[in-house]
Amino acid sequence: MYLNEEEKKMLNGEMGEPLRFAMELLTTLGEVNGAEIMIPIKHAHIAGLSFKTHGVAGCEWAERMADLGATVRVPTTFNVSGWDPTRDLGYPKKWTEYSKRITSAYMRMGIHGISSCVPYFVGYVPRLGESVAWAESSAVVYCNSILGARDNREGGPSALAAALTGRTPEYGMHLTENRRGDVLFKVTTPLKNITDYGALGHFIGKQINTKIAVIDGLSDINSRNDELLSMGACMAVLGAPTMFHVVGVTPEAPTLEAAFGGKTKYEVIEFGKKELEDSYHALTNAKNRYVDYVSIGCPHANLDQIKEVADLLDGKKVKDGVMFLVHTNMGIKEIARQLGYLETIEKAGAIVTQGFCSPLGDPEDFGLKVMATNSAKTAFYGPHGNRMDTWFGSIDKCVEAAVTGYWSY
Amino acid sequence: MAKRVKARKIVKGYAEGEALVSQMALGFNHGVDPKTGVIKENDHVLQGVSMKGKVFVFPNGRGSTGGSYALYRVVQEGGGPTAMILKKADPIVIAGAVMSQCPTVDMLENGAYDEIKTGDYIKVDATNGIVEIIKKGER
Repeated sequence: MYLNEEEKKMLNGEMGEPLRFAMELLTTLGEVNGAEIMIPIKHAHIAGLSFKTHGVAGCEWAERMADLGATVRVPTTFNVSGWDPTRDLGYPKKWTEYSKRITSAYMRMGIHGISSCVPYFVGYVPRLGESVAWAESSAVVYCNSILGARDNREGGPSALAAALTGRTPEYGMHLTENRRGDVLFKVTTPLKNITDYGALGHFIGKQINTKIAVIDGLSDINSRNDELLSMGACMAVLGAPTMFHVVGVTPEAPTLEAAFGGKTKYEVIEFGKKELEDSYHALTNAKNRYVDYVSIGCPHANLDQIKEVADLLDGKKVKDGVMFLVHTNMGIKEIARQLGYLETIEKAGAIVTQGFCSPLGDPEDFGLKVMATNSAKTAFYGPHGNRMDTWFGSIDKCVEAAVTGYWSY
Repeated sequence: MAKRVKARKIVKGYAEGEALVSQMALGFNHGVDPKTGVIKENDHVLQGVSMKGKVFVFPNGRGSTGGSYALYRVVQEGGGPTAMILKKADPIVIAGAVMSQCPTVDMLENGAYDEIKTGDYIKVDATNGIVEIIKKGER
């Protein structure tokens, strides 16, 4: 790989150990992937910061980097950490202690500790064609697909290395020729809400691996960003995609031809009423209808979803013995507080968390057994990562389950 | 007779030792005891076997990105391999190998990867991208 003078100084250790580590990792990844040069990035988003992922080892490594003077060169945010500093949800002492230490180590490097998987909902919205280094699989897909910015599927260490150097090796999604569609998904059934879009994400994710899906048939429907987000998030936990195109909706797919970049031969897969129903069934593994945990907000809820929950809960009470959590970040939570949505939700006995989420927060450790969620990503992790029986359905069904303690559909 | 083949450098360094060959990918996250190097993954063919001090030969990593930090910890706490040979390195193992500075190579030439058996003696010169394989019993 070609390195300029400053990059060489970073690599040979003249600029300190953190930059040496960072440049060694970036050049290795670059060489393995056939990159020729480093390119500048405008923003980085670091993931894998929960104690569940970092462990004691990651915590001590991050602290050592901070002690050695690691400092980010570009604006950098960090992902949901699976820990809400504002309340005691019943975490083990060790979890809280290490979560605090991990957060503080990265903050010492100059990183904004937003603890959220949706940096674009708190103002970090890269432009079309701009290169960034984001980790967090749902954010990677959002960034490439919905924003049209350019990002490889980074891990925690490589995103940090990019943040410290302000650079990333030029390969993969940073190159126009790798952003063309591979497979066409024709949607022939109407999709109504986040949950339906999540179900489509499940259908695509299980057969896509790293290919780029082109989705047609959604252009007449008002595909909101949070709906496309839900779809991409679920796709990204079943496979390893970096991007999708929605014809007539996302910025690099004004037409079918543009989405495929001139390619004329590709596989066509239909998503109709039956496939939608099958996906709902695949995302539900529970038999026991007595729900004791309801989870909304994966990826982190935006203001509209929080208001929807508030409207549905207004004047009602969450049933005794049911834990109802709505996950978001500190920014959206504060807006919701000032607008009064939070008060309505809390009066009903539900909780709006910040910096927390179900897949990372291990709700099963609180003794909870049966979950209801509107998130396809959470529903996928439910039985596998969290050992919980899971019901998957729309926000109003989830709120009803929270109030009655029973999944009635 | 020793066989010398070219390999691709992932992390520079030199180390030698007995090979421990895994037919399966390995997730370091919660999969390896950091002090003893014993593989703990439930469904792993090498469950109960230690990689400590061995040249660990495996196809690639698997599982979450936490694997990078976990690999770093295994090397840091003494349970780690002296070197790693992968069929094709993945980003999670690459990051962990760079963090822990464990000599690592992949993409051995002439199908040599498939010839390495547990117990063979291996010299890994990652800096120069050369791997020497001495078959068990020929040393």
